[in-house]
Amino acid sequence: MNPAASLAYACNARVLGPAALRAARLHAEWQARGGAGRSPHLAPPLRIAPRCKEMVARHWLEGRYVQGVRKVAWVTSGAPVEFLTALGFYLLYPENHAAICGTARVAVDLAAAAEEAGYSRDLCSYVRTDLGSLFSGRTPVGRLPRPDLLLACTNICQTVLFWYRVLAEHFGVPLVIVDTPFVYGEEASPNSLRYVGTQIDEAIVVAEKVAGRALSARSFERVATRSRRATELWLEILQRNRHVPAPISAFDQFVLMAPIVELRGQAATVDLYAAMLCEVDERIRRGVASVREEKYRVLWDNLPIWFRLRAVAELLAERRIAVVASTYTNAWGELAPYLDTASPRESMIRAYTYPILNRGTGHKLHIMQGMIDDYHLDGVILHSDRSCKPYSLGQMDQRERLTGGLKRPALLLEADHNDMRCYADEQAATRLAAFAEMLEAQR
Amino acid sequence: MTGVSALGIDVGSATVKVVGVDDAGALCWDALEPAQARAEVQIARMVEDARRACDTLGGGKVSLIATGCGRGLVHQAVREVTEITCHARGVFREVGHGGTLVDVGGQDSKVIAIDPGGAVTDFAMNDKCAAGTGRFLENAARHLGVPLESLGHVALEAREEVRISSTCTVFAESEIVSLLAHGVAVEPIVRGIHRALILRLVAMIRSVGLVAPLMLSGGVVCNPAIGTMLAEETGQQVVLPRHPQLMGAYGAALIALEGR
Amino acid sequence: MAALPAIAARAEVIRHHRQQGGQVAAVLPVHAPRALLRAYGFLPVEVWGPPGVRTSDGASHLQPYVCSIVRNALSFLLSGGLDATDLILVPHACDSLQGLGSILLDFIKPRQPVVPLYFPRSDGAGAQRFLAEELRRLATRLGGISSRAPAADEILQYVVDEETGDRLLLELHEGRRQLPLTNADFYRLVRSREYLPREAFETAARQALAMRHPDSAPGKTLLLSGVVPEPTSLMAALDERQVQIVADDTLCGRRRVYPPGRSRDPFERLAQSWLSGPPDSTRGSSMAARSDYLVRQVAASGARGVVFYLVKFCEPELFYLPTLRKALQRKGVPSVVLEVDLNDALSQQMLTRLDALLEMIP
Repeated sequence: MNPAASLAYACNARVLGPAALRAARLHAEWQARGGAGRSPHLAPPLRIAPRCKEMVARHWLEGRYVQGVRKVAWVTSGAPVEFLTALGFYLLYPENHAAICGTARVAVDLAAAAEEAGYSRDLCSYVRTDLGSLFSGRTPVGRLPRPDLLLACTNICQTVLFWYRVLAEHFGVPLVIVDTPFVYGEEASPNSLRYVGTQIDEAIVVAEKVAGRALSARSFERVATRSRRATELWLEILQRNRHVPAPISAFDQFVLMAPIVELRGQAATVDLYAAMLCEVDERIRRGVASVREEKYRVLWDNLPIWFRLRAVAELLAERRIAVVASTYTNAWGELAPYLDTASPRESMIRAYTYPILNRGTGHKLHIMQGMIDDYHLDGVILHSDRSCKPYSLGQMDQRERLTGGLKRPALLLEADHNDMRCYADEQAATRLAAFAEMLEAQR
Repeated sequence: MTGVSALGIDVGSATVKVVGVDDAGALCWDALEPAQARAEVQIARMVEDARRACDTLGGGKVSLIATGCGRGLVHQAVREVTEITCHARGVFREVGHGGTLVDVGGQDSKVIAIDPGGAVTDFAMNDKCAAGTGRFLENAARHLGVPLESLGHVALEAREEVRISSTCTVFAESEIVSLLAHGVAVEPIVRGIHRALILRLVAMIRSVGLVAPLMLSGGVVCNPAIGTMLAEETGQQVVLPRHPQLMGAYGAALIALEGR
Repeated sequence: MAALPAIAARAEVIRHHRQQGGQVAAVLPVHAPRALLRAYGFLPVEVWGPPGVRTSDGASHLQPYVCSIVRNALSFLLSGGLDATDLILVPHACDSLQGLGSILLDFIKPRQPVVPLYFPRSDGAGAQRFLAEELRRLATRLGGISSRAPAADEILQYVVDEETGDRLLLELHEGRRQLPLTNADFYRLVRSREYLPREAFETAARQALAMRHPDSAPGKTLLLSGVVPEPTSLMAALDERQVQIVADDTLCGRRRVYPPGRSRDPFERLAQSWLSGPPDSTRGSSMAARSDYLVRQVAASGARGVVFYLVKFCEPELFYLPTLRKALQRKGVPSVVLEVDLNDALSQQMLTRLDALLEMIP
């Protein structure tokens, strides 16, 4: 361990930075009491939102100074990470970083740097954002620590396989691939599960080597327990939206989900979501609705449009439409039943084989149909995301089934999760307005 | 006046250019016309004019090389050479050094890396969408009601600039329409449109790798904002040859001269 | 240039096979177990698009950012183009083919059984065992569809026999410079393996190899990388310019020339063979493996430049492009990218790019 790095880390990431972030949070909490800055059609954000933001900011702040103090792993959003957390790795999620860039509307400038290096505009905008950040050294989070290890799991897309090959070439560090065969039918075959298990075992060996220590069964179990608890809490929070009116919008969930993705095995994350659940329950008791005049309840499919998160939320709220559920935020909760803390390895195999993106297009329709019933939904917005083929392919047939059999208006909204250049405000607004009119006509 | 020793013709999407060079390779005759729908008739007439001029200037029967996207229509040519090689040759001869050449044409733009000996080492062209080309400006000018000739001056004189995020021509048009509908003034939009074009060119420049100096050719660079804003965006001085529009035809004529 | 040995047309081959009571399997890109399909009496017929299909049928199921190989394949199926087939095998080559397989299984449900096949991407030891077992499962499925039950020995014989085809294909690729064939004919020959019965392909390949003569000195030489040599107007353009493709790195071409396996178990042997094939984007090979291989191929073949012939939206190929082009550049090998849609003719601009590349080669 480098003493200078350790000192900088202790000062900045442990003392000064957190103090500044705490002050920022207190300020935000104080401001929120005035209910400033929100559309009149939307409830104020949850009181806990500034705390969530502070946690995430602390994580990225730590990343600035962590080099040489802790081992760093860059991982995909669906990667099995419990053993990495247990081995003391600092985890960096490039996808989350790209989403931060998208929300901060710097993604296009960064993507340009990747495009200049020859990466096509037909590649995922998350990848272009992150590679652009890497090549240009620019990032809204200050600095990204170099990885000691890369872990890519194909349970969300094949894109990450290629993306991490580029990263491995760039950094010259070990890349572990956990390849999770796509589940076309109802169940993954025993062959697939065994294959995934073998790879997790191999990944642990590589991670131990990089970490310079062996994985202790106790800490592995402890992290898995926290992961499961946080996942369960997150699912409960989402399911509170079955209540009419819904206490928390999917647009807020998109922001509040950051810890369940990137800090899932930590004790503080469990505490955060436990407190969040209490606040959501309190909202239900007090009759607080996320959209004040909620009249229509809809589902959002696919990633959010990060650079227009708020604009789309407000546009819909004006028409009394609440987006109360999403397959995307649900993806980090629905696997809770698979996580069995008594056998972390076995449960990891299933939990990481069965994410919605690793299952068939019919399964996703089935999930959406279930949500329509459970959440009493009037319609569905399917974000056709140019940057995410595995999530988007099948939407045209899903839409047809939703509008045909279920008689629910369903809108296919052409956009991109990070690339503003693939999005036209006027066109999107017209489509959303037409969708709203269909909902109104339905009632 | 010396005689014409070789001819080059550049059949572009917007204009057709013919250049004659003398024995020493100096540009000594030229013609430029907007491209017409019946291209082969126009080409035949322009070639005939050029040949007549050669006779008048005492050149006799000289060889002709064709370039540009319509080069295949020039049946009178001894050979076809791409506009990449021709622009590089013309500009190299004109300025006397290598570097990175940016050619902005009506429907194609290209960035060409030229080594110190004048050889092309790499190049990039715009993709299918017309965002990095003259067509992009033309469409914008039409929507904004600004004459194409004054577009560059309007851009340079604008005090403000709005960001046009779409570089897709269709999306950009919809953005312009919506900006106008929201009461945004024309000038900042004109500047924003130029910025979008320049950024597209810069992306192509970087993909090839910028080796100074930056040089310009093509009809669109007569628009003064292109050179100025490109210099601004890259921090590089921009070298403009004397006849930027004729560089393709000039290069073709030089190649015809070598092949005599 | 010499005339190409006679090769039966696809429709004719399919008709003949069916007349003899055989079944036909439509096989989507990229890697598929030809030998296994043959062992169960299927004639494997590959479907790379095909080009020039009316795409409106597929457009109601697939978004515009899906490549034309996948869109055309679906359109072809929906317009009855695959009616003469008894099975549709959909290998998992990329996210788009994954989506297509899933849409076929869950929504479109064609008359023929749709059988997906996952290709492992792990570098680890488990990949081969997994693949062998998947192939075993596939065999069971094929048995159910064909009502045939070949013994393991019999299957092994098919696998070993198919390796002869691989060897001949390798000889054709490596001996390209000595073959007095136009580019169009060369690709017609090597791609006939996509639908010919084994013996017919071997005969055609042997006849072509017999035509080799050492003096066939080509003009300018290129290596062709990318997905598939479609639209074939590129071949015509190269032939017109007297340029020869002396080496191939396309997905449908050399990247599927596998070395023979060793095991006596047919499934293990197939898995071994596949997993030791040339570096490939759809298998997720490392950047270094692909660029080293490409640079070696260029040097070995004497190609003076490289054309990357890509189908628009092909993510696996696009990811490798910057690394590959940089590696070539370091070796002073110029390259050009031609990105196309299977249904479009080669545009003037693409030809300009090609010509500019050729002008860069002395």
